[in-house]
Amino acid sequence: MEIKIMKNILDSNQNRAEEVRSVMKKKNVCMINIISSPGAGKTTLLERICEKLAGRLKIGVIEGDITTDRDAQRLKRFDIPIVVINTGGACHLDSHSISKVLSYFDLDDLDVLFVENVGNLICPTSFDLGESFRLAVISTTEGDDKPAKYPMIFRQAKALVLNKIDLIPYTDFKYENFKNDIRKLNPSLPIFRVSATRGDGINEFTKWLEEQIVPE
Amino acid sequence: MHELSIAENLSEIVIEVAEKEKLSKVTRVNVSFGKMVQIIPEFFETAFRAAVAGTIANDAEINIEEVPVTIRCNNCNLEMTLDEYNFVCERCGSSDIDIVTGRELYVKSIEGE
Repeated sequence: MEIKIMKNILDSNQNRAEEVRSVMKKKNVCMINIISSPGAGKTTLLERICEKLAGRLKIGVIEGDITTDRDAQRLKRFDIPIVVINTGGACHLDSHSISKVLSYFDLDDLDVLFVENVGNLICPTSFDLGESFRLAVISTTEGDDKPAKYPMIFRQAKALVLNKIDLIPYTDFKYENFKNDIRKLNPSLPIFRVSATRGDGINEFTKWLEEQIVPE
Repeated sequence: MHELSIAENLSEIVIEVAEKEKLSKVTRVNVSFGKMVQIIPEFFETAFRAAVAGTIANDAEINIEEVPVTIRCNNCNLEMTLDEYNFVCERCGSSDIDIVTGRELYVKSIEGE
């Protein structure tokens, strides 16, 4: 016999994500899910964000990592609450793991919670964490052909940070090709060109970011 | 390898439904995956085998339907299937489009006895 189900396989993740979203909304905390390949510069970008905004906003961070707390160590100097989730091999975070660690934060004392997802451009896109929005980070050294290969993240992201622009002269990255591909996927996606190590473009990006966290 | 967690989630749903329906074994699981979710069927099959090992769905066959990406233009209402990810209307050039199919991650039905 055949039994009809017609159900989203990730229903249980989706339901928990909606619970997280409603808690964050009630507490007025903006949650930002940062998605990129490994080594694109998520943690360095977070360091720059903290330098610019830690004095103005109350920041918390969830670090998703397959193993180790090295990323979290780099953010310790900002004296902000940081929780590490080691996925133990899994290539993405899910809403259950987020929900479990929320109690480590004083949500009444937070404006924004950054979630640094596990480095991966495909897997995290299927798992809603209950975030307010997704931020994609791509680095020029990955090549200008990423948009065509990973359409989901570019459709979902509210903004895209193109990192390592200082390295363009040493790569065959063509910004025009990259931008044209992005246009085919999501023409209204804002692109911020930055060098997180050198600081280029960071002011413009953090200004935009702050406006998203604290709407005028 | 999001295939593994998706297979684990699927296995939980399959077993829950099978127990509720008092099946003694599950013979087939029918799922629908949109192309944009980028699941590799061979990987998924392997992940599914691992996820259902030792359960009443141990011997279940997995039947994967891959759903193409289709979009609808909100300007001229044309619906089109995409081979490449180009979310722009091929008739009027508008990028005000909705994705109609291609993001599915569904379990459609299970079969058993």
